[in-house]
Amino acid sequence: MTGDRIFGAVMILLALGYILSASTIQVPLFPDPMGPKAFPYLIAGGVIVASLVMILRPDPEAEWPVMRTLAALVFAAVVMVAYAYAIKPLGFLVPTAIAAGILSYQLSPRPLAAALSGIGLSVGLFVLFRYALGLGLVPLPKGWLG
Amino acid sequence: MTITFRALVASAAISVFGTAAFAVECIAPANPGGGWDFTCRQIGKILYDIGQVDQPVQVTNMAGAGGGVAYSHVVGERNDDSDLIVAASSATTTRLAQNAFAGMTADQVRFVGAIAGDPGVIVVAKDSPLNTLNDLVEAVKNGEDVSFAGGSAAGGFDHLKVLQVLKAGGVDDIRAVKYIGVDGGADAITQTIGGFTTAMTGDMSEIVGFIQSGEVKALGVLTEERVPGFEDIPTAKEQGLDVVAVNWRGLYVPKGISDEQFNAWAEKLQAVADSAEWQEAMAANGLAPFTKVGSDFQSWVDDVVAETVVLSKEIGVIQ
Amino acid sequence: MDLLSNLALGFSVALSPYTLMLSVIGCFLGTIIGALPGLGPSNGVAILIPITFTMGFDATQALVLLTSVYYGAMYGGRISSILLNIPGDEPALMTTLDGYPMAKQGKAGDALVISGVASFVGAFIATIFLMLLAPYIARLAYKFGPAEYFALYLLAFSTLGGIASNNQAKAAMASLIGLGIATIGQGASGTSRFTFGNLHLLDGIDFLVAIVGLFAISEVFVFIESHGKSSSIGVKLDKVTIPFRLLGQTFGTMIRGSLIGFVAGILPGAGASLGSFMAYMAEKSWVGSKGNFGKGDPRGVAAPEAGNNAAAGGALVPMLTLGVPGSGTTAVLLALLMTLNITPGPTLFTDRPEVVWGLIATLLIANFVLLAMNVPMVKVFVKILMVPPAILLPGVTMISFVGIYSLTGSYFDLLLMIGFGVLGWIFRKMDIPTVPVILGILLGSNMENALRRAMTLSDGDPSYLFSSPIAVVLWILAVVGFVAPIFMRRVIRKPQAITD
Repeated sequence: MTGDRIFGAVMILLALGYILSASTIQVPLFPDPMGPKAFPYLIAGGVIVASLVMILRPDPEAEWPVMRTLAALVFAAVVMVAYAYAIKPLGFLVPTAIAAGILSYQLSPRPLAAALSGIGLSVGLFVLFRYALGLGLVPLPKGWLG
Repeated sequence: MTITFRALVASAAISVFGTAAFAVECIAPANPGGGWDFTCRQIGKILYDIGQVDQPVQVTNMAGAGGGVAYSHVVGERNDDSDLIVAASSATTTRLAQNAFAGMTADQVRFVGAIAGDPGVIVVAKDSPLNTLNDLVEAVKNGEDVSFAGGSAAGGFDHLKVLQVLKAGGVDDIRAVKYIGVDGGADAITQTIGGFTTAMTGDMSEIVGFIQSGEVKALGVLTEERVPGFEDIPTAKEQGLDVVAVNWRGLYVPKGISDEQFNAWAEKLQAVADSAEWQEAMAANGLAPFTKVGSDFQSWVDDVVAETVVLSKEIGVIQ
Repeated sequence: MDLLSNLALGFSVALSPYTLMLSVIGCFLGTIIGALPGLGPSNGVAILIPITFTMGFDATQALVLLTSVYYGAMYGGRISSILLNIPGDEPALMTTLDGYPMAKQGKAGDALVISGVASFVGAFIATIFLMLLAPYIARLAYKFGPAEYFALYLLAFSTLGGIASNNQAKAAMASLIGLGIATIGQGASGTSRFTFGNLHLLDGIDFLVAIVGLFAISEVFVFIESHGKSSSIGVKLDKVTIPFRLLGQTFGTMIRGSLIGFVAGILPGAGASLGSFMAYMAEKSWVGSKGNFGKGDPRGVAAPEAGNNAAAGGALVPMLTLGVPGSGTTAVLLALLMTLNITPGPTLFTDRPEVVWGLIATLLIANFVLLAMNVPMVKVFVKILMVPPAILLPGVTMISFVGIYSLTGSYFDLLLMIGFGVLGWIFRKMDIPTVPVILGILLGSNMENALRRAMTLSDGDPSYLFSSPIAVVLWILAVVGFVAPIFMRRVIRKPQAITD
């Protein structure tokens, strides 16, 4: 109930922002009766209608996770973001072992098994990508080994 | 934002694809499989095969923003790299003229040469009442419902070809000409055969099959002389319309290299153009000879860019 | 004659040793991917696309490899359906209804063999029909102008929306979000929209990033939320013999299921889920009260498996000939083709016959490879099922990252992928289907361009959109496709929303 309503309300705001942004699109002069703005306007209109339906006739409420689980999910997302930034400067092996280990621990909280999964996945995938598939991954930070 | 992005693309290209030191690098500003990729791979291979370079040329694909990502990379990061060549075509200069590369201009690199061309051509369905380019011009002048389909976006090279022809024929209000840009030459042909548009404008190589099977008739090619193998198609010039529009395939190099280095590349490119291997590659891909290198090519490109700017302003692609 | 020469062209492509090897590898990989809990044909193919692309296969090779993975994954999905009661993807849902009870009765081996053979029959019949039908549909090319294409895209959204969710507003919302994402960047008009001066956005959002995020990364969040527990208890598999008597008894079921499945698959937007569902329901009413459906009737395994695979073959017809995918997996295959610079549509058959017929020949070969591979090797694949999620899902995550990063070389795309993963998780919680989002991103610019071209040609007259009989028929189908499920739902309660 509330979930659908909040989602609908957020989408209406997004649609309005989208319309506002579309209204500033530069329009070329050569003949095209529709131009680049009309389709975005149609989409935004559709979103507003669908949002209103969701607000007025919401589905039964979904089961949202408790705070602790939600925190675990946010943490997983943060780990992924950090991994995205780390893979370039730090090479493939170390960030992959750490990120895979943390995700593994989140799925099954046994520290040793998780650490082993992380290291195993890191080395295994590196060998697979580098030697079987021929992708040019950098194993370690530049200057360590090359 | 732009600076970090460039650095990022450059470093990603190097770390992901690996770079051999001292080899010549050819950047194809698109994904594998397209025309620019073909240019890099063929020219690179022939340069090595005929001994113009002593190591195989390394091809890097740097797709994005219709060539803009590679362009900003070359201008910003590799401005004095004399071992770098970049594939280019009419699309490159058209986009530069129309300011589609975020403020960068055509004079920020040196255009070193073109060694093949894809002739511009205008065709209609086989049962169309139109038989010459002049019939087409007259139909537009008489206010008939004439429309064009082409494989590039509105304002792109295929669109400009039609406008040049109509303008040469004395049509004043070229903004009122209906043009739809579809996804490639084959789709444009299909729309024309299906009767949804009057005529199709495109490159010769895209539609060779349709001309040979007789499903369309060509009203004219936009070259200086008739195209070998298609001698029965008259040029626009023969029909009194002074328009030449060839989608050239060639290279640019960084601005900061010396004149000697620039001329050395021009000579190497001329050697490729003269090789038997290149003649075969052109024939296999529906390309016609079109060789201009060195400062000749640079000044030709300057003229084309200036013309494109004028035409683009006229139809309102740029202000 | 035409057909034979086309087929000869196809086999000349598909039977080269290298392509054949790719097909066998693809089938094997696919079966493993399909058998792994949480991975199905859609996300399995999705995470492999970037890697395949980076490895520099040509169009035909990439297509052969990944369609083999697709078919293999459909075979593999049934292993986890029957033994664990976890369908790998939505079409496999119906197989659990009788497959798991059979397994609990100690007939797991029989169920696996029946479903393997039924899959083969379904896929084989569908491939034959695809071969016979496709050229005729391809001739429609010259009848499709901008107005017809616009109506066709509309039909794709309305029918896929109808099958994808229990709530039409949510299905429409998902389509519209996808279409909105597609407007970002420099479209066909050359005008840049919604880029906010950011060069990353100039080319728009790469649909591969969206697919991998929505399908693969969101799966990781779903598993973390459930703490990696799988609630079902696996059933042991003792011996596998070929139950010839049972196969004979269910042969008629397989043929019926295949025909129903193929017809369901052809409808743009319907796809494999509908195929297996309809085949199961039809067989149940055909057999009547004599059946033992829901409690381990072998026909309850044979019918949906034949229907599911036949529908997958049928779904390739609209995907290849019209560029309109019928299911999540065909949407992923469409993305693959577009990445390879192949635009499916009526012109594909004339422009790239080697791609189309090579694909058809590959499908025929893949069917045989899978049948030969699966019956003797079923125990090997069963072992793979035991990979714990704590290893599998981090692995999926890392493969996704490497795939996207090596394809685009951009952090920005990795962050977007994570964002789509979060979005995918929220959507799943709220029962908003994710497939229409992908479809919107894939077809958005085509749809807008079709509309703009129609308006250019007609000087802005909207009646042009309804000016041909084909366009009118497509509009009617689109409206019916959107409205009908609202009424049908009152008659048939689906077990759960179908998200493929």
